[in-house]
Amino acid sequence: MKRPRIGVFKFTSCDGCQLSVLNLEKELLNLVGLFEIAYFREATDKPLRGHFDIALVEGSLTTERQRSHIIEVRERTRYLVTIGACATSGGLQALRNWASIEEYKQLVYPSPEMIETLPCSTPISDYVYVDYELWGCPINGDELSEALGSFLLEKKPGVPGYSLCMECKRKGVPCLLIAKAEPCLGPVTRAGCGVLCPSLKRPCYGCFGPKEGANIDSLLDVFRKAGLSQHECSLLLDKMNTFAYRKARTAEGRP
Amino acid sequence: MKRLFRIGYLSRVEGEMGITAEIRDGQVTVRAGVFEAPRFFEAFLKGRPYSDVADFTARICGICPVAYQMSAVHAIETIFGVEVEEPIRKLRRLLYCGEWIESHALHIYLLQGPDFYGAESAWSKREYLPIAQRGLSFKKLGNRILTILGGRPIHPLSVKVGGFYKVPDKKTLTDLLSELETAHEESLKSIQWAARLPFNDTAWEREYISLRHPGEYPMNHGHICSSKGLDATMDEFFGQIREHQVDYSTALHTGIKEQNAIRSYIVGPLARVNLNMDRLPQEIRNTMKECGIQLPITNSHRGIIARSIELAYAFGEAIRIIKAYEMPDMPSVDFNPRAGEATWITEAPRGMLIHRYELDNGGYVKSCTLIPPTSQNLAQMEGDLHDFIQSHIRGLPQEGEREDRQKLRSLHFLFGPPCGAALIGREKTRNARRPRHARERCPERPWPCGPLGTYL
Repeated sequence: MKRPRIGVFKFTSCDGCQLSVLNLEKELLNLVGLFEIAYFREATDKPLRGHFDIALVEGSLTTERQRSHIIEVRERTRYLVTIGACATSGGLQALRNWASIEEYKQLVYPSPEMIETLPCSTPISDYVYVDYELWGCPINGDELSEALGSFLLEKKPGVPGYSLCMECKRKGVPCLLIAKAEPCLGPVTRAGCGVLCPSLKRPCYGCFGPKEGANIDSLLDVFRKAGLSQHECSLLLDKMNTFAYRKARTAEGRP
Repeated sequence: MKRLFRIGYLSRVEGEMGITAEIRDGQVTVRAGVFEAPRFFEAFLKGRPYSDVADFTARICGICPVAYQMSAVHAIETIFGVEVEEPIRKLRRLLYCGEWIESHALHIYLLQGPDFYGAESAWSKREYLPIAQRGLSFKKLGNRILTILGGRPIHPLSVKVGGFYKVPDKKTLTDLLSELETAHEESLKSIQWAARLPFNDTAWEREYISLRHPGEYPMNHGHICSSKGLDATMDEFFGQIREHQVDYSTALHTGIKEQNAIRSYIVGPLARVNLNMDRLPQEIRNTMKECGIQLPITNSHRGIIARSIELAYAFGEAIRIIKAYEMPDMPSVDFNPRAGEATWITEAPRGMLIHRYELDNGGYVKSCTLIPPTSQNLAQMEGDLHDFIQSHIRGLPQEGEREDRQKLRSLHFLFGPPCGAALIGREKTRNARRPRHARERCPERPWPCGPLGTYL
């Protein structure tokens, strides 16, 4: 049987989610048995050729060149899967969306006029149709395996859309928000990390982005009652998934 | 007469980078351009609280997040006047060992290693598979350390200013010991494997810079020293360097300020091994002697040996730290934020990572500068490639011979070892609408995998 072809593509990102593919380690060699890794710049010399059954796309879109490249990738691909916060919601670099790009350029570069970049960092789905999104900064390797396995079994991947609180309760981790009044984003954040932060007695800081139908403002009311200022509240949301959390708030009707 | 050799997009490196060599009337110009899209970390960190800095800067590099966290928390602790306790200091070193193992194993076995076997990836050749497997099991163990201490291998989340959110108990760590000891043995043998790979015999005269510490192999602490006699504190060194911009790269180039010029230098495992040989434990020095490894190593192609030495070191050091570990009463110390400015440098797997922060009274970032190892190496890298191509200019294919693969192949032999470095190259002619693909093995890949996905 012909192995399905996978392509791994990078846009504006830290390479961490691509690395999650290599971090499958022992499973990696099984993976290359089941799939043909047809394009993966970070790991192979194979040139970009032909069509792909699955494209794993990392990174957000921040340049004109990338906008045309993602269209090319889409045209070559049957199923396009975004991997990680950058590709799925614009990433940390989407903080520029609420600032002046000219100011940013001047802060970082001695000759800002040489730098070509777009004023906004946008998720892949703002430009092309995305078949499936994997959240997380970085993604969870098990969810990646699940998604790839599902492709082979021709089923929809079973990645949760409910909140981190569900996972937390199942694991029996004490609630930081209720017991300690700490500003935990768990109630509005998608499950999937495996309760990493609360297990370390650290409030969730939103690596996996907003859960489906997140009621963010109601959570912020709780934070404010605990003594946080409006500014501190928005700093909590403006991290790796800033674009997605802000969109989720607008969707609720209280921007 | 003008000829242009271009490698549009280097493979098996982290980040996006291309190399162009232009030969005009016998003169070579080399440009190593990073075209990674800018992310403006230094801009959006402005106005963020100190507690965000380690989490944010970790996102600069998916391969070396711990390095960014370490440089960040140490700099901020210097501003706040925080001294962490010895067990915390040691745990941070253990965390760094995990990252060195993970990153070096990746670099040696998945990125650079396949070059020596003429393989396009770690899994493309049957004869390389057992070697890849060895590398993956090293890497897995490095990731285990990172997961135990930091929750996950990429962007771990336990580090904070003042210490950790939570520290592991002794048993959790000692459970790793037997596996670590086996891996340590294996990694010592791997130094021998690395030393026997087919290298080219180029030697470069250049300045190596790394941290140096009175009692240990450098990771989080030390002062700056170089192979040419530089000796400076972190602050002094920051004052001596300058970042400058070139029009073909989104990564800034960094060098040491001189009267009318900027002096380039090299950081990374080669620099560290060359400058800190006496800080390596006896077992590694013995192995080096047996393998006939002589210092200093001045050929970047042999960086894989330095990485293998450090991989073995990191396993040994992790074992020593775990054996001596006693769980501290408190995972972190208390402190009060205050205004100030500080520079801190730690040794990321790929070399010195420089962070400088200025904070206001509330601990919010007023300004910051982040200089990754790659940006320090870029200028020297261009210089080395220039010298290399200049000295091999007669071996380059002549005009009209573009399609002669045999000629190109012989070029690879000139440039590198028989199995050479595999890069996808495109020889570009000015009028050609679509340059034909030529598989070109290029000058070797002496500096693969700088964390190019940097702050840019």
